[in-house]
Amino acid sequence: MSAALRLAQLQKARGGAPLAIAVLEKAREIGAHSLSGAVLDPSTLAQLVPDFAAKGAPLAAQVHHEAVYFLTERRKFRAPIIPPPFQNHGNYVISLSRFVKWLGGLVEAEGVDIFTGFPAADPLLEGKAVVGVRTGDRGIGKHGERKSTFEPGVEIRAKVTIVTDGVRGNLTKELIKRLQLDAGRSPQLYAIGIKELWEVPKDRIAPGTVMHTLGYPLKFEEFGGAFIYTMPDGLVSLGLVTGLSYRDPMFDPHLAFQRLKQHPLLTSLLEGGRLVRYGAKALPEGGWHTIPRVYADGLLLAGDAAAFVNSMRLKGIHLAMKTGMLAAEAAFDAIAAGDVSAASLRRYEQAIDASDVRRELYPVRNVHQSFERGLVFGVAYSGLSLVTGGWWFRDPMPSRAGHELTEKLATYYQRDVPDPDVPVEPVKIDRQLTFDRLTNVHYSGTRHAEDQPSHLIVHDTDICRTRCRVEYGNPCTRFCPANVYEMVDAGDGTKRLQINASNCVHCKTCDIMDPYQIIDWVPPEGGGGPNYEGM
Amino acid sequence: MILVVAEQRDGVLNRASWETIAAAQQLSAPVAVALLGSGIDALATELATADVSAVLVVDHPALASYTADGTVLALAALIEQEQPDRVFFPHTYQTRDFAPALAARVKRPIVTDVVATKDGRYVRPVFQGKLMAEVEAAGAAPLVTFQIGAYRADSVAKKTTGSAEIRRASIDIDSSRIRQKPEAPFKEARQSVDLSQAERIVAVGRGIKGQEHLSVVEQLAKALGAEIAASRPICDAGWLPMDRQIGSSGQTVAPKLYLALGISGAIQHLVGMKSSRVIVAINKDPEAPIFELADYGIVGDLFEIVPAMIAELNK
Repeated sequence: MSAALRLAQLQKARGGAPLAIAVLEKAREIGAHSLSGAVLDPSTLAQLVPDFAAKGAPLAAQVHHEAVYFLTERRKFRAPIIPPPFQNHGNYVISLSRFVKWLGGLVEAEGVDIFTGFPAADPLLEGKAVVGVRTGDRGIGKHGERKSTFEPGVEIRAKVTIVTDGVRGNLTKELIKRLQLDAGRSPQLYAIGIKELWEVPKDRIAPGTVMHTLGYPLKFEEFGGAFIYTMPDGLVSLGLVTGLSYRDPMFDPHLAFQRLKQHPLLTSLLEGGRLVRYGAKALPEGGWHTIPRVYADGLLLAGDAAAFVNSMRLKGIHLAMKTGMLAAEAAFDAIAAGDVSAASLRRYEQAIDASDVRRELYPVRNVHQSFERGLVFGVAYSGLSLVTGGWWFRDPMPSRAGHELTEKLATYYQRDVPDPDVPVEPVKIDRQLTFDRLTNVHYSGTRHAEDQPSHLIVHDTDICRTRCRVEYGNPCTRFCPANVYEMVDAGDGTKRLQINASNCVHCKTCDIMDPYQIIDWVPPEGGGGPNYEGM
Repeated sequence: MILVVAEQRDGVLNRASWETIAAAQQLSAPVAVALLGSGIDALATELATADVSAVLVVDHPALASYTADGTVLALAALIEQEQPDRVFFPHTYQTRDFAPALAARVKRPIVTDVVATKDGRYVRPVFQGKLMAEVEAAGAAPLVTFQIGAYRADSVAKKTTGSAEIRRASIDIDSSRIRQKPEAPFKEARQSVDLSQAERIVAVGRGIKGQEHLSVVEQLAKALGAEIAASRPICDAGWLPMDRQIGSSGQTVAPKLYLALGISGAIQHLVGMKSSRVIVAINKDPEAPIFELADYGIVGDLFEIVPAMIAELNK
């Protein structure tokens, strides 16, 4: 949205031959698939929309109270000072979904066409040049047959395609592979964030309170922590972010989130309240060294798709907006100059290097990598990096992709291999404070046309039944926060994989974390997916 | 005056029309019923048994089979003539097809899928039935559609003596303005079941274990005169067709009797059947959420209980 708005602004300011600008959005409505904590650093917003307050930007509450806690199972220890990266003075608690919707309104007011419900399914390539995208087909039945409502996807040709399909975006994934955009980069590291929006009694906690926690319910070997952000009218955003780099194959981020809510810090906050919404999304947290090459012939990558996230500050919205704006400027200049080749679009990378984006991300380039060595090392290195500017003996600090870190059941548990269908640390589900996956999915508002092929493609389901069951105990049934993957009785005493694709909340965790890398997330029929209104 | 638009097809009234009349009768305003079609005198007489001020009949050859354009033309003219302060519809597939266009044509606001009225406001579910919103129509004289099952068809107040006045509205329809040409219904459409019309439903869930056990459920449904429905896993497994699925990704129903066999009661299922008048649940797991909603619950093995029920019903 920031890229589209910036393009429209440039067009207005500089004139020239009118550009045709179009935005493709797979969600039914603008912002419906946008999920974040979220705390917004308004620096970029002020550059993009200087009169954002007058234009009614939905900034729910200014941050005025902050705390960082270390949790044990029953107790909390408050950090005596707020570590600098956690300081949020001057920032705002927002609903990203509302914010994106508002931004979309400004974009449409500039006369830009936003096509909601149209996923960009495939990139169009001519040789090594990106010349546009193809939208997804509609009206394909469960078994691939054309229904009476069949409409083929449309080829949309563009001089420059700015791809902002978010974390582990399907276009970005394919483009990185086909154009080797990750050559010489470190492997991307991800986390999964699971979030609930609650409504609690209005006088419970002041709006604009921002709390972060480390420790419980995660183990020292697991990266992550919780966030609690408060908004007016008793609305509370709470979530747990866990590194998708855990070793325990039985680890279950959704159950860990339920355990978090049973901590006294949370029960005292949530008591008498009710769940309003649920969602989950992966986050690209690898940082500077994992950002792919962000340009190619006719192509620019921006936002989460290209991992512009500051994992130390837990912020990416302003970086997504900033890279979107810079991409727009580069695209505008390149089109004006009549040259959209990679050599010309390289100006985008140069602009990023000269901007706050690099100034913010470069010093924390090894932070997430350091947590591969555990919480203690990670925190120590992160603290040190504030002084050293991120220096380490080996830079980039070596790291491995998260799915390679999951250990096999027999390695992690040695003799006491657990039953893969029974949680190692079960949580009592009361459907008041704690919820099972299926109930949570309902609160995500996710919907898909039922009669369509599964948009989660498992290339070899035999592996699930045989190798994975023994080696890892089907971790997809645990890392998926939406009950998409289920091992059901095959009728012959074994279990087979059942894919409940219409539960999917588009978080991309399965595509990232499956130990055999045989799951591909592709866009479902346009408009399908969660409804994150208010999230 | 409240104008209720009844729905008929091939000379048979949609049961939901009565529900909408019941909704209108609860408000303190005169109620008139509109009926569109061709050769529909018998239906008009049937509707005139209700305690309403009049039944307005628009009988025109162009309305013999349903088209959105024809319905919009007829109703726009009728609304212009009668100037009702509210127009009520049952929230059927047909209403969904034409009502938005009609609202635009007569420049009146529309409130859809309403389940109750409250002090001049309309209550409608949002977020897939998780929350209820009370909405007011912006401006006067709204069109309102009522969710099927929200009101009871058998609660319609009937005339104790005589019947309501049947009036033929003189409305001419310019057939050349009807752009749709209806063909015979599709075969699939003819086969698909509209569970919302069923008075009794026997629904099965995962507790049935295998497709081969469905026959016992079919026997029970037959003994009860009920339709068979299912929760999602049964339809996913292909044991029953998808059009038998109840819940957020299937149909929403509100029968007089809903018998849930081996259904644990995931919220996705509950939103599709929670307004049923009497809910009976049979499940092995006493903790199953379905029991929080059920009027009658039996904790036990459905393979023991169901045959006993069939035997008793067949006596």
